[in-house]
Amino acid sequence: MKVLSAEGLRAWLTTLIARGPLIAPVADGPVVRYRRVRSTDDILFEFGRPDLPLKEFFFPPTEALLHIWQGEGEVQLTEPAWDEEPVIFGARPCDVRALEVLDTLLLAEPTDLYYARRRERTALVGISCQDLRPECFCASVGVTPDDPSGMDVMLTPLDEGYAIVPLTERGERLLEGVPLTEVEGEVPRKSWPDGDVPLPPQAVWAERFEDPYWSRLADRCLSCRLCAYVCPTCRCFDVRDYSGGIEPGAERFERLRCWDSCMAVNYRTIAGGHNPRPTKMDRLRNRFYCKFLYYPADFGPVACVGCGRCITHCPVNVDITEVLSEMEA
Amino acid sequence: MGNGKTNPYRPYLGTVVGIKDLATNIKLFQIRLNDPAEREAFVYRPGQFAFVSAFGVGEAPFGITSVMGHGGTVDFAINRVGTVTGALHALRTGDVVGVRGPMGNWFPLEEFRGKDVVFLGGGIGGAPLRPVITTMLDHREEYGELTILWAARLPSLLIFTEEYDTWRSAPRAELHLTVDEAEEGWAGKVGLITQLLAQVAPSSENAVAIVCGPPIMIHFTILELRKLGFTSEQIVVTLEAKMKCGIGKCGRCNIGEKYVCLHGPVFTHAEIAGFLESFL
Repeated sequence: MKVLSAEGLRAWLTTLIARGPLIAPVADGPVVRYRRVRSTDDILFEFGRPDLPLKEFFFPPTEALLHIWQGEGEVQLTEPAWDEEPVIFGARPCDVRALEVLDTLLLAEPTDLYYARRRERTALVGISCQDLRPECFCASVGVTPDDPSGMDVMLTPLDEGYAIVPLTERGERLLEGVPLTEVEGEVPRKSWPDGDVPLPPQAVWAERFEDPYWSRLADRCLSCRLCAYVCPTCRCFDVRDYSGGIEPGAERFERLRCWDSCMAVNYRTIAGGHNPRPTKMDRLRNRFYCKFLYYPADFGPVACVGCGRCITHCPVNVDITEVLSEMEA
Repeated sequence: MGNGKTNPYRPYLGTVVGIKDLATNIKLFQIRLNDPAEREAFVYRPGQFAFVSAFGVGEAPFGITSVMGHGGTVDFAINRVGTVTGALHALRTGDVVGVRGPMGNWFPLEEFRGKDVVFLGGGIGGAPLRPVITTMLDHREEYGELTILWAARLPSLLIFTEEYDTWRSAPRAELHLTVDEAEEGWAGKVGLITQLLAQVAPSSENAVAIVCGPPIMIHFTILELRKLGFTSEQIVVTLEAKMKCGIGKCGRCNIGEKYVCLHGPVFTHAEIAGFLESFL
């Protein structure tokens, strides 16, 4: 196996910072999240599953879809340019699986240009997990903590340094000129426990749709939407125009896309005020049915990667693993 | 859709070339796409919808109420109910709007050939039915009896009143109007569209019923149609949903695993009855 020392890794990341944006896990107060870094001193090299997913780099919380210039009897539309070639360091396997889940929807025709160009031009340097958080259940949904799929380069922490494996041509190019030491032996693999959270079959979901369980569960839901915002696969969005300034004879606007959530009270309300999902129960149930029944039916994969972030952050302890166990019962 | 290959969120630019009052707070907007190539590419069928942008405020989806080839404009009947529709109502002819579409499926007119067709339009729900009526009148010989049941809450909310004479006088076509509540000068029927349907009682034999209106009206109209012997396959509805993208990405319009934008908006009652979640 090829090995990169800790100092070698820092040196490599320093060259990547000089070349283009490097996104890496940082401590933002008590929160571990991915941010653009200017120095390797800012990077967390030992970290658990970050509090916020990688999703926001490919599908930002707020993003301009169009710049609108409106003059007298005339409108001009331009798409914001985006030509960066970022490298993400420290991607966790669950987050990259989540991107593959989003790909099935956002890259399907007609392709979401904004997501597609970021996916296409961003290199992913993954690092396998060494420990699981109590909320992690990735193995139950088919992700392993050292899964290299979807990565361009995969790192595995060793006692000293990192085992490093380029997995794509882009990964090879990233590592050009990086001094790697050849060490005997294979990349060590930890043995991880099998997942113990059940994934109920589709028929069970259909049968339990009217189950009183959903009302009991929703009793404590605050409709705060945190679950959706920390979820690496939730992708519902809203689109609105905002003023971008006035100039003589014209006004500029931005058409912005912002994250949204099916937990929002008026999410489904149509013109005239009718709301097909009037209760918290309807909305919370939709969240789980979307993840485990609708998304797989429409796009293929289950829309959950077992990162457990919704469990960590839910203020009233709505636990997705409990829901799955209840459905299986 | 959108501007096609590159960016599905980018609308075509169009100019408002005609605005007509259809009813209280309901206007017809006739839009001509600015670019001749885009005009050419904008091929749509009865039942499809498109997003209309009031730039600076936002965009919303509306059923297209015109028929391809009739005047070369893309027309929308828009009820002023919110922010975007409020901004659209403030437009004047010559103003530039965005049009993103056409989107969704359409009424399977080829399957309706040779059949009697019953239309049930409630309020602004008549808008997506109008291109079906127009198309069937254009090709009158291809379809059987046309029974149009047209309703609104108030007489002043009845849409496309200027066309009623054309609809009535077409061969083998009849128009029945009703309103929930009469206003001064109304000498017609007062009652719900379900009552009108029970009175007119069109035969279900070799017939199809097309329904559009508020969800509650669709629900009860379907029940009444079933009483008249219409099977689930003979009832076709078009559904409304809040949408942000129209192309299956934004997640807004799902009814269970079906997206109104991708799998609809036109569904048979058989399909709707099979949804895990209610459209109502």
